[in-house]
Amino acid sequence: MCPTVLGRVQTRVAILVGPAILATILSLVTGDEGWIVTIGIYLLVGVALDTTFYPRVIRWQPPWLTFLLGVTEFVLVFVLVKVLQPGQPGFGDPDALVGPADVKVIVFFWVSWLLAIATRIVVLPIVSLSWLENGGEFRVTGWSIQPEAEPLPLVAAATPEAAGGRLVRELSAVHDRPVERRPPLSGAHARPVSGTSPDR
Amino acid sequence: MTLAGPRDSTIGIVGDGFGSALVYTTAVYLGFRPEQITVFGPNGSPVDTYQQFAYNLGQTILRSESESHFLPADWPTFAQLDAWARRSPAPLLRSVRRRYNPGVAEILAEATTVQRRLGWDANRLPVRIGWLQREQHPTPHFTLYDEEANYAGRARHVMLAIGHGPLAYPPALAKAREDPALADRIVQAYEPKAYDPAGRYVVIGAGIASVNEWANALDSGAKVISLLRSPTPDEQDLNTPRCFFEAYGIDAYQALSFDRRLAFLGQILKGTSPRRRGWEERVREGRAQGRFEQLMGEIDEVLPGPAGLRIHVSSRHGPDPGWLDVTGVVAGTGFQKSGLTLPLLRRLVQFYDLPVQEGRLLLRSNCGVPGLDLPTSRLCMMGIHANPVIPHGDTIAGLKYVARRFVADCARAERIRHRRFPSRLRMQLSLAGGSVEAMRRVRRAEQIA
Repeated sequence: MCPTVLGRVQTRVAILVGPAILATILSLVTGDEGWIVTIGIYLLVGVALDTTFYPRVIRWQPPWLTFLLGVTEFVLVFVLVKVLQPGQPGFGDPDALVGPADVKVIVFFWVSWLLAIATRIVVLPIVSLSWLENGGEFRVTGWSIQPEAEPLPLVAAATPEAAGGRLVRELSAVHDRPVERRPPLSGAHARPVSGTSPDR
Repeated sequence: MTLAGPRDSTIGIVGDGFGSALVYTTAVYLGFRPEQITVFGPNGSPVDTYQQFAYNLGQTILRSESESHFLPADWPTFAQLDAWARRSPAPLLRSVRRRYNPGVAEILAEATTVQRRLGWDANRLPVRIGWLQREQHPTPHFTLYDEEANYAGRARHVMLAIGHGPLAYPPALAKAREDPALADRIVQAYEPKAYDPAGRYVVIGAGIASVNEWANALDSGAKVISLLRSPTPDEQDLNTPRCFFEAYGIDAYQALSFDRRLAFLGQILKGTSPRRRGWEERVREGRAQGRFEQLMGEIDEVLPGPAGLRIHVSSRHGPDPGWLDVTGVVAGTGFQKSGLTLPLLRRLVQFYDLPVQEGRLLLRSNCGVPGLDLPTSRLCMMGIHANPVIPHGDTIAGLKYVARRFVADCARAERIRHRRFPSRLRMQLSLAGGSVEAMRRVRRAEQIA
């Protein structure tokens, strides 16, 4: 797949809808906003990478990169969660590098990631036949350039009226009329071949 | 059972090959009823023509990658189907490294299953279309006639999926083939042939067909001279760079003028060959045994000779190789790319005064035939004739690209009710399950990438 920047962002938003719903439910059930904010952080990190870093280093994205990118994004999201501490106490360990309270964050990230990847691999190609072909963009299944927008060459073309018009008949060699001979094009404005130009 | 006679349809597909199968499948997937679609063509299966060429060529795997296959949507990919069919993760691992190519037998089994389940053959009128007439009343549509000028039906939208022109030969060989004494010693790579173990052959070209023939001739024990008209081509897995299969490349390609697109096609479609372990080994062995050599030059004269043929090879890149005595010549020179080699297109060009440049119809950016194509009644072309619009038009991925957009245009024009997600998923899973069953019954192709 060769995703466009717009395609990356659109796809990112679409595949995080499922995890966002899951996080909303968890936040409501546990009364801890940390779940949904974590998804928000994941979205922001993802969009930032999609618009600045990935397009510079990845043009054609082979499937094996998916897991590698997931690991990179996990590290970034995990560090931000540790720094920002978005949830109630117990949602992420604020002290240790990796503490027991971080299990929630780690498991939640990878469940969300699996949900997002399943959406991307299974759901999106079935919802939109042209999603993959359009570099991950959700375009209407259509052509790159509509025929109405095709550039047309500008040419001096004779219309049928002009071909049979008065001027053509006047200039026609069929009628053997005397014609005054005029100087050739190159002789109409004779230029000096040497000397200074008149304005100097 | 095919159709008994002509009928009115919403979509008419002229042609009975891969393109026809993909347009039909996409239309059913998006929500058209099978009886709204008519396929026109004499072949009982959309894989017939390809299967014959693949057999003649000795081809066992496709050059395409995992996404290029015959299910309507892109998931599951062919590697996933293969893994499911064989209960082995190997195809997935290969696919992850982009080292997976669908086997010919497996992909034909899938195509056959899909067309049977969706009723492609039951909606086929077994005639070859010879003429189509644009009609404006009562609403814009096309009337189709067969090659004997018999009425074949009417269709609001028509896709011309008529495939490529006849096989191409260099001029000296084309002339020699007219001589009955020489004709059977000069064949195209795509024609049936048998190598003699003691034979000496010249294989022209360095594309995928020629590379296959080097391997086939060497396998039989024969000697092979590979004759190249130009320096050895680039090695490339696909016949178009990867990003030209998607929006990135296609948008940029379509922004070029027609002349520049043709020049680009000339550059990328001429003699690219994928790197394949099996072929490399065989050629290396053949070279070590003195049974394989490469020459730069062109055949400019063919005479009868003691070995069967006496050919004269001249070269612009060094001293002329001169006269050679050979058993036969195999031309891996592909197909005629000019649309004018196809009678239906030639008639349309002549009658409707359609614009043509270097043998290629100047299609609109939506693959529409200029002057005849309308948003409310589309006339579109796909396959090699759509290459100036879609650089990979003659690949399975390219056929899918055009089929999807054509059918989407038809759906918009007809305002059909689109198939819902659960129904699409059910259909896709059912077709995938059927394909897996069929794939289990064929022998697994060896992956040689």
